[in-house]
Amino acid sequence: MATEDARYRETSQYQLWSFSPTQLAAMREKTNTAARARISERLLSYPAPPTAPSSNNVSAPTSNANTPDPDGNGTPRQPTLPDFLTPAEENLIVNFYTSELLRAADVFGFPEHIKSTGAVFFRRFYVTNSIMTYPPQEIMIVALFFGVKAEGGFAQVGDFVKTFNKKSEEEILAGEFLLFQGLRFSLEVKHPFRALRGAVMELSALGDVDARRVEGAERRAREILQFSPLMTDAYFHYTPSQIMMAALSLADRGLAERLMQKTFHFVAPASGADTPMSGGEGKREQAGEDKAAIIGSLIRDKVLGAIEACRDILSKELPERREHWTNKSFIKSQVGPVRKKLNKCRDPERWNLVELQRTRREQASKKNGSDDEDDGADKGKFEDDGAVFGEPLSARDIKRRKVKTEGLQDPFGGAL
Amino acid sequence: MSRKATMGTRAPGGMGGPISSSSSSAIPDIGPEDMCPVCKTMRYLNKEMKFLINPECYHSMCSACVDRIFNAGPNQCPHAGCHKTLRRKGFRAAFFGDLSVEREVDIRRRVAAVFNQQEDDFVDLQAYNDYLQKVEDLTFDLVNGSDAQRSAAEAELQRWEAEHKADIERNRKAGREADEQSRRRRAAEQEAVRQRRLEAAREAQEEKQERARNREAELESLAKGQVPADATQRVQLKRRGQANRAVEAAAAAAIAATSAAGVVSSGDGGRLSIRGLKEKKKAPAPEGPYDPFGGPVFVPTRYKLHPALRHHDSDRYRNDSQHRTGGFSFDDYYARVMFEAFAGLGVFIEDEKEVGIGLSASEVVGMAAGLAAVSSDRMDLD
Repeated sequence: MATEDARYRETSQYQLWSFSPTQLAAMREKTNTAARARISERLLSYPAPPTAPSSNNVSAPTSNANTPDPDGNGTPRQPTLPDFLTPAEENLIVNFYTSELLRAADVFGFPEHIKSTGAVFFRRFYVTNSIMTYPPQEIMIVALFFGVKAEGGFAQVGDFVKTFNKKSEEEILAGEFLLFQGLRFSLEVKHPFRALRGAVMELSALGDVDARRVEGAERRAREILQFSPLMTDAYFHYTPSQIMMAALSLADRGLAERLMQKTFHFVAPASGADTPMSGGEGKREQAGEDKAAIIGSLIRDKVLGAIEACRDILSKELPERREHWTNKSFIKSQVGPVRKKLNKCRDPERWNLVELQRTRREQASKKNGSDDEDDGADKGKFEDDGAVFGEPLSARDIKRRKVKTEGLQDPFGGAL
Repeated sequence: MSRKATMGTRAPGGMGGPISSSSSSAIPDIGPEDMCPVCKTMRYLNKEMKFLINPECYHSMCSACVDRIFNAGPNQCPHAGCHKTLRRKGFRAAFFGDLSVEREVDIRRRVAAVFNQQEDDFVDLQAYNDYLQKVEDLTFDLVNGSDAQRSAAEAELQRWEAEHKADIERNRKAGREADEQSRRRRAAEQEAVRQRRLEAAREAQEEKQERARNREAELESLAKGQVPADATQRVQLKRRGQANRAVEAAAAAAIAATSAAGVVSSGDGGRLSIRGLKEKKKAPAPEGPYDPFGGPVFVPTRYKLHPALRHHDSDRYRNDSQHRTGGFSFDDYYARVMFEAFAGLGVFIEDEKEVGIGLSASEVVGMAAGLAAVSSDRMDLD
């Protein structure tokens, strides 16, 4: 295997955030089911109406995309459970807010890599967290802000507050750590933009390709890369170079194929002369080249297959669809109903990020303050669903408690 | 020093007897060491007063009392409530001021004489550590345990001594041999040093005489009107060097002879006293140059970096002197760009995440078939 691939396998993008389509679908399904179970439990345990309106009042005016919900106040009175979103509906909402995020980034005039990082953060967060648990319109802003910071940009929270019509900086900062947890603490996103430049350089170095054609293809491919992979799951299923090749192939199929041939030393029977090594002096070299040709062509076919599949995915969301996502009638007919449904089935405890962060902080400080007394009692309701952030948290808690109860009696541990 | 010596040459009978059964709390606090608890003589009256103890019961009394009471033969300890029968022979001066420490040291010495296995008598370190732990437990029982524990430990000690008599004796002999060996070596070294010193003194003496003679000869020659020759001096220097070398050679020979004698003599005993020496480790093989990345190769396989790689956008900056910064290299940038363009092209996430990295079996078969076909073609052609 080529060293380039081995090095890509070392990245967190490959190790933590690459999934096959079935895996991704399973994860989303699991997230959805878990969220359903938790939220229905919460809705049943908080039947009192005061909680719902208060959370409504706080979150409703803060979200610019949220339409006022006339019957939001009435529903929580009866303890019956609302309709929950399906994974497909969740996906629709994620896509919609991704497009909103890209639009917002354009308003700020962020460069392409910042924009894309924000969008990828947003999408990654909602793989393991449900739309019904955390408010997408808030997380979207947080993801964009966090993306700017992760890419080394200089963003002012004040600017965000102004642009998104927020009341305070707190509303944006509250979700930051939450998002960071949801990203499994990996900040690096590998983008295909620089790769595209490399491909173009390689193509122009060939010398026999029309420079204007290359330039046009690059422009188009860049346009595609700034929209299509972000609106689809391409970042989860393909490597940046594959995405780049797919975009290039969408822009100019001939150029992409030319590049692939150049890369995987494929010796076509007719045009054997244009590979650099074909001057074969000895038989052994010839045989080695044949071997390389066989292996090369096999891998090349496989790579071509991957690129073709990626191209199919990208072609579903070409940049021309940008208008589709901002189309008023589309929003009204498709997104609106889902959002209405979402307003009824959202998590009463998690929906307000500011409130959530405040509660967490209080709990943490309380725990720190009363460290020596047994904290079995104040293991609150936030603690028991630590599964949202993975197992390690709760496991550590158990260990800590164990240390607290046993450790003091025998500082050197129990009997061997 | 004198106290130590008395302890070292103490008769084994003193420590061979059973340890006193009086608990450590019963040992009297001799606190002010100025008064004999038996005859109440004060140090004030007798400056030379010396206190002695008997390891039977560790009750201290002055040497005058010991002489007075025990000269006639074994007698009862004069301390109230202590019914031990003591002998004159067992008395000695305490090395430690705190008699409980004195007692513990005695017990430990006794236990160590019985449990004298070495580490290389055991198959592994774990076994040796277990043994040490056991011995320490037993010692602790003897020193600090209750009466029952102490008698149990005592019984255990005697049982062990009876069972492992041969081992103990062998180890003791080995220990003595080792001691003897090292003592002999030390003596040989000291002897060599003494010889050297004597030799040096003699040498110096000779030199002095020589110098005096030379001086006389010089004066004589001057008186005769001759120039003193450098040659004499040179000869003298040469002789001195030779003399030194001769002394060193003699010392080395002496050491070699004594150590050889030691080895031979210990060989006569049937056992080499150097035990437990581990084999020296071989020097590690020389390492290659330091590799900061610890293995990975960064030579590109899918593309070549060559000067023709240009991009019109970056060319704009490349040729602009205002955009030149120290430490920034466009070649590095190109290398990174090319790497990103081709890194991961052969990574098939769908397969790898579900099956694992590598080609699938069917693909391998297909590839092998293709290769076979090629090689057979070659054969036909040949």
